[in-house]
Amino acid sequence: MSDVNSSPVSRRNFISTGAKLGAFLAAAPYVARGADGAAKADQLNVALIGCGEQGRILTNAALPIPGVRFKAVCDIWPYNLTRTERLLKKFGHEARPFEDYREMLSSVGDIDAVIIATPDFLHAEHTNAALRAGKHVYCEKLMSNTVEGARSMVVTARETKKLLQLGHQRRSNPRYQHARDRILNGDRLLGRVTNISGQWHRAVSDDYGYPANQAIVEAKLGKYGYANMHEFRNWRWFKRYAGGPMSDLGAHQIDMYNWMLGSNPSSCMASGGTDYYKTHEWFDNAIAIFEFPTKNGMVRASYQVLTTTSAGGGYHEYFMGDEGALKLSENPKYTKLYREARAPEWDQWVAKGIVASPLSGEGAPAAVKPWEKVGVKKLAGPSKSAGVDVRETAALSAWDIPVTLDKAIHQPHLENFVDAVRKGTPLSCPGESAFATAVTVLKINEAIAAQKTLRFKPEDFIA
Amino acid sequence: MMRHPFTHEAMATTFTIVIADQLRDYARQATSAAFRELDRLENELSLYVESSDIARANRMQWGETISIGDDALQCLLLAAEVSLITGRAFDAAYASDYGPDVPLDPVPFTLDPAAHTLTSRVPRLQLDLGAIGKGYALDQLERVLDEWSIASACLSAGGSSVLTTRAPLDGEGWRIGLGEEASYCTLDLTRWALSGSGLAVQGAHIADPRTGTIAGRANRTWALAPTAALSDALSTAFFVSSSAEIERVCLELPTVGAAWITNGASLETCGQLRTLVARGGRRET
Repeated sequence: MSDVNSSPVSRRNFISTGAKLGAFLAAAPYVARGADGAAKADQLNVALIGCGEQGRILTNAALPIPGVRFKAVCDIWPYNLTRTERLLKKFGHEARPFEDYREMLSSVGDIDAVIIATPDFLHAEHTNAALRAGKHVYCEKLMSNTVEGARSMVVTARETKKLLQLGHQRRSNPRYQHARDRILNGDRLLGRVTNISGQWHRAVSDDYGYPANQAIVEAKLGKYGYANMHEFRNWRWFKRYAGGPMSDLGAHQIDMYNWMLGSNPSSCMASGGTDYYKTHEWFDNAIAIFEFPTKNGMVRASYQVLTTTSAGGGYHEYFMGDEGALKLSENPKYTKLYREARAPEWDQWVAKGIVASPLSGEGAPAAVKPWEKVGVKKLAGPSKSAGVDVRETAALSAWDIPVTLDKAIHQPHLENFVDAVRKGTPLSCPGESAFATAVTVLKINEAIAAQKTLRFKPEDFIA
Repeated sequence: MMRHPFTHEAMATTFTIVIADQLRDYARQATSAAFRELDRLENELSLYVESSDIARANRMQWGETISIGDDALQCLLLAAEVSLITGRAFDAAYASDYGPDVPLDPVPFTLDPAAHTLTSRVPRLQLDLGAIGKGYALDQLERVLDEWSIASACLSAGGSSVLTTRAPLDGEGWRIGLGEEASYCTLDLTRWALSGSGLAVQGAHIADPRTGTIAGRANRTWALAPTAALSDALSTAFFVSSSAEIERVCLELPTVGAAWITNGASLETCGQLRTLVARGGRRET
């Protein structure tokens, strides 16, 4: 290798080298120095158990919340632990690292709340231990990979009188709240809802690997419940650790069925299999059908999850009524409202800010290029020579929800949890209602195995 | 050993990672991890993701402050520095609305690195990291590969920015081409990032932030730097800059280089690229 072909500057230290760039930073006119890192009266001390991808998302979503301070982080994999420590240091948080959550809970006394982002089979163990240690808990969904595990979490929260929030974060999303409280229920723009469909389609993905120098020895993996490094990295595909794609992806959306309707299902039938992947135990293709008896009549709901294609419209929940339909997604580009021709005009709802005329995407006027004059395109009406033109069925008019989520998608749910701890604000997803969702979701896997329709009893949803 | 190429669509372009001197399965796992990081970065930095830091920044009012993540902070710090050094030939806030009362500012926002906050100093801040974000992403992907002990790799974003790490065992570097037709030459690069700007792919799309008009330059420019974020930003700045301005930036920043095609179709160079082309570049006829 020729020296002249190689950069003389270390990339890692580039900003702090003697190069001109970076030398500006100390005195740069655009740099402010306001943070002092001092403890504040409303400080909420938190610990994180599980520093993987979801733990990283929750950490990033919690950091902007005023007063939240990370005091400890815990993960059995040093690779994840170090990355999280580094991230927190950049924000001025000195979090003590731990491998064992028991040691963390017993040795860091000033933790108010614990955020849990570990694999599903550990949720009950970690949640129950944190609650019994006197901490409030925010735990990722699905509550547990077993109904018994989920029930134990509700019971422990009840016994310890500590808060338990589950990570079904759509419940705190202002767009979803608007959809439920104003569109579906309050002003009933959809009329009588008869059907829901939902889906999450993901493209084929490789199994996760790990850096060669970051393998955990099997004795340590065994101590924490894992068979080997491959299963540790790919726990979502194995039945002893997780509930499969219906739990990983479907749980978020099926939670919306229950929450939006304010009802639990009475039956579930399902089909699914591991048709594609050779290395997965859990299904890669599954479909479920529920019956939801509601005060307004029966709602039939289907849900499908695929981990073999991203085609078919991504991920959304679609609520269909006799006067309109609502396609909801965390991704606004998949979100749309449709008015049935028989429904009253929606002008009044536009005036009241309940719905909005589309600005972009489906139903929006064609984009105007800079060199084009702004004008109104004339719609093609019936020709003058004919009384009635025969055409395709007219497309439904498409509308938007005039609510913008102005933060990371998990942040409002964490804020709700923090507000509940500080001010007693009701939790968006307390253990009791998350338990009903866990029962609903786990029944799908049971129905697939049984190959028949399974019935729910009302008491099934009560922990 | 074989070189293993992998591609991924993100940030409206195709990212490619070529890994040398590793088993293919291991290389594939490492690039999968890198591409997951790329998807995460796109969510943080894209204008088109409603909850991204940049989309949120573009909804700010005058004087408003928002929290931002570390990636957006690092990108904006560098963008601000490059804007100052190039005299706004690169300006990530170029489309901002200053209103009638606010004078033009090379950096119309304030960053607090400790608090990770961004404050707007104009009525309507309009940030676009399109000319720095892909380079920044390449730098972060290289970090992931480094964690995986991948020593020799060549990463590119849509062909406009290339980042090289150590040379493959069977070569002196990663062979990268620059110049056109008679001036075309190749360099065997290691631990350098090279970015190019031109009109061939997207047409006349680069406006000079200082004048608001489309750049008058018709031929390509290249920037060489230790990081791809910097080479990405500088290549855009160089495209709208005069040769004298490019020379001045290279003098101020001794770790960067520049190249451009003159009207006479020859390749002019300065800074580190002049050295590289003179000593290491292989001109091809």
